[in-house]
Amino acid sequence: MAQVTLKNIKKSFGPTEVIKGVDLDIQQGEFVVFVGPSGCGKSTMLRMISGLEDVSAGQIGIDGRDVTHVSPSKRDLAMVFQSYALFPHLTVAENIGFGLKLHKTPKAEINRRVEEVAKTLQLEALLDRTPRQLSGGQRQRVAIGRSIIRNPKVFLFDEPLSNLDAALRGKMRLEIARLHKELKDVTMIYVTHDQVEAMTLADRIVVFNQGRIEQVGTPMELYHTPANPFVAGFIGAPAMNFLPAEMLSEQQVRLGETVLDLPQSSALSGAVTLGIRPEHIEVSDGGEIMATLDLMEKLGSETLLHLTTPFSDSPLTARVDGAVELTEGQTLRLKFNPNAVHIFAASEVRPAMTA
Amino acid sequence: MADLSSGAIPRRFNPWPVTIFTVLFILAVLFLTPTIGVLLSSVKTTRAIALGDLWSWPDRLYLGNYAEVFSNPAVHRYFLNTLIVTLPATLASTALGVLAGYTFAKLPFRGSNLLFLVVIAGMFFPPQVILVPLFRLFNSMGLIDTLWPIFLVHTALGIPICTLLMRNFFATVPNALREAAILEGANEWQVLTRVVLPLSLPALAVLATLQFTWIWNDFLWPLIFTQSDEKRTIMVGIVNLRGQYTVAWGVQGALSLIASLPTLLIFLYFQRFFIKGMTMGAVKG
Amino acid sequence: MERENRFWRVALLALPLFVFLALVIWPLLSSFYYSFTNWNGFNSDYDYVGFENFKRIWTDRLFFNAIVNTSIWMAAAILLPTILGLSLALLLDAKVRGSKIFKTIFYLPICLSAIVVGQIWVWIYQPDWGLLNTVIEQITGSRFNYAWLARPDSALYAVIVAWSWQQTGLSMVIYLAGLTSVPSDLLEVCDIEGATPWQKIRQVIIPLLTPSTVVVVALSVINSLKGFDILFIMTGGGPFNSSDTLAMHMYNESFRKYFMGYGSAISVVLFLIALTIIGLYFRQLKKVDDIYG
Repeated sequence: MAQVTLKNIKKSFGPTEVIKGVDLDIQQGEFVVFVGPSGCGKSTMLRMISGLEDVSAGQIGIDGRDVTHVSPSKRDLAMVFQSYALFPHLTVAENIGFGLKLHKTPKAEINRRVEEVAKTLQLEALLDRTPRQLSGGQRQRVAIGRSIIRNPKVFLFDEPLSNLDAALRGKMRLEIARLHKELKDVTMIYVTHDQVEAMTLADRIVVFNQGRIEQVGTPMELYHTPANPFVAGFIGAPAMNFLPAEMLSEQQVRLGETVLDLPQSSALSGAVTLGIRPEHIEVSDGGEIMATLDLMEKLGSETLLHLTTPFSDSPLTARVDGAVELTEGQTLRLKFNPNAVHIFAASEVRPAMTA
Repeated sequence: MADLSSGAIPRRFNPWPVTIFTVLFILAVLFLTPTIGVLLSSVKTTRAIALGDLWSWPDRLYLGNYAEVFSNPAVHRYFLNTLIVTLPATLASTALGVLAGYTFAKLPFRGSNLLFLVVIAGMFFPPQVILVPLFRLFNSMGLIDTLWPIFLVHTALGIPICTLLMRNFFATVPNALREAAILEGANEWQVLTRVVLPLSLPALAVLATLQFTWIWNDFLWPLIFTQSDEKRTIMVGIVNLRGQYTVAWGVQGALSLIASLPTLLIFLYFQRFFIKGMTMGAVKG
Repeated sequence: MERENRFWRVALLALPLFVFLALVIWPLLSSFYYSFTNWNGFNSDYDYVGFENFKRIWTDRLFFNAIVNTSIWMAAAILLPTILGLSLALLLDAKVRGSKIFKTIFYLPICLSAIVVGQIWVWIYQPDWGLLNTVIEQITGSRFNYAWLARPDSALYAVIVAWSWQQTGLSMVIYLAGLTSVPSDLLEVCDIEGATPWQKIRQVIIPLLTPSTVVVVALSVINSLKGFDILFIMTGGGPFNSSDTLAMHMYNESFRKYFMGYGSAISVVLFLIALTIIGLYFRQLKKVDDIYG
């Protein structure tokens, strides 16, 4: 049975509809990541699940119970905020035990459980400090501690890592992954705009765009078989390249002067958009696609090539091995991996995505 | 020229700090003079002042004026009356400001901004505008010549400033703190008392100081609402006692100082919060 | 959530709003009502007299005198403390030795009541042994006993000086607070560009202090409109009504002569003046918000 069910959820702020009908089932123990550009409605969706925001229409169920009109505190869930939302006037121990104290749990019981949680999160030495005296990562752990102490059924994360610097973010990402492994039965819903977090943490990713779900799937499904150019462009970094092309037959597509044979037939015909990820472009003497190398970004293990092609206004990015020696201004021959070519209807691609 | 070879570079003299200090010093002396004058008068005999000796440094401290003030039972009564009004009214207006300010800051609703504007606009109106109707209201309730109207009016008139300051302060408390507390099971009252208020102590200190000072120092309302000497507050009392101490300048000076002492002490104590608080209420508006 | 919020809004706002409505808004509205009556403050019965009170305002020489005095009073009571406070704040911002003590000294008068301030200054202006005349005698070497508060030419201005002495500290504190938010890199740019200190103040600091100025002016308006206590104790509106402001006039008509109806009419005019100023202020505030938001 699904742990969290969303049925045709809608949300409007005044005349603007920000969530335009969302249906989703989340299983117990699942780690689901809501991802999308800012303003896509993912955070609003999370806040509606938490109960901090009312739904305009639709139904929210948690653990088989309709909680659409239940107050947040009675939904049996916990939330970790982007800003951590630690109470500055309370110590770490008091912060973690805050909810238990509100529920009039006996003092000894609170102390025992706080210590237990502190042990899991390696916070034992910090229990008497105030949040001001903690580093960003420590604060984040306290916020998590405050959430897990009540053993909630559902765990909500609202962009929990975006206030941390890059190095720490990587470390905390691992900790959250570890936490999810330890708390097997707990359902986690995690909102982020960072597709790397989505890819690395999620059992399933939900891609939001303009108040709708674009696609739901495992990270690999989204990577390999994106349902539309939006998902294709959003998942994977650097983003997928989109090029104008023309279908010659069901299995043949023409790109500039080059004709590519597709392994699978496509239902589309006429003008289409061809999508190819940077890592699926190869610089090869046998390649038939000619491009000029504008700029190189050397990342060490790999090099990003920014190229211009005669058949498209927008630049093309390719990812090659760091050992490859090239010079800027050079004309290159490229080879597209035909198994990794995606064909989309031309009308689906908006200029913003190809930029 | 020999100096140059020794490598000593003469530092250019910067005249600014000295100039500014001198200007500030002169201004400070000017600003202090009136207060010092009262202080001096309060330790001199009436005779010395009458001889035109008010502004000179005294040869010896004469404490008779203070003794006179402290032994006057009317002064005790004035003080007591003022305290009876000031403390509860400070508390009540601050509390009401907290309630309203919290709602405006954390639970906005359609039209709440307009309502907020209406409430703080109350701050701008000269109290004379509501003098007559309030007099009639309290008169019909038989409360004239009691301390009740003074308490009630100060509580009500404190609402605009208290609401403004508290709303502005609460607005700086992150919403996420409220939401986190709610998800932990707190209701709105618990959010206010357990999370938001403990974080607002500096703001509360500022507000309480402001309110205390205003109510303690007020003259108009006790003048209108009280008639008998039994019910007068200290500021009206000072004016009343002027008749009794017509030429006893020293006693008047001592009385003024004693009457100002509570507000001065409170200000000095809360000074560091105060300047911070002015910023918060005022500039962050 | 919205359901709980609705409950708490009502629960939290009920008491403050009730008190505010009952003791501020309702009296404000009844003031309009009484201004159409001839109530004398004691009798429970009174007559509706229509616009009689307002007609009387037009023929009341003292009313127009009060309008003129209120204008002078407000203009000076706004300008002087604002300019003085700004100057002090700029001087103190240089962080010379002892600036903390200076701050306290300049701020201290704010803690004093108008009654005490009035009394202090009555002594300063005292003709025979007051400080002002004593100093003048010391300088000129000849007898001087001008009665500052007893002469119609000087009474109002003498009170304005006392008022400014008390209020300056308030504007100073607000300006000091505003100065802390002036970004130091902007001032460093000025130094690099070779601006003189005066140019720096005039072209950069004062414009950046606009939000503080708005607050200072607003507070001065509020306080000066209420300016009653200090006039009451220093001059009582005299001599010959030369320092009679609207608030003072209203008090005299209502509580000395017991023309409460007429007093209400004056207070309605006072209210309308205040309303106009508030309106202008809020409009200005919005503009400032748009720029400095």
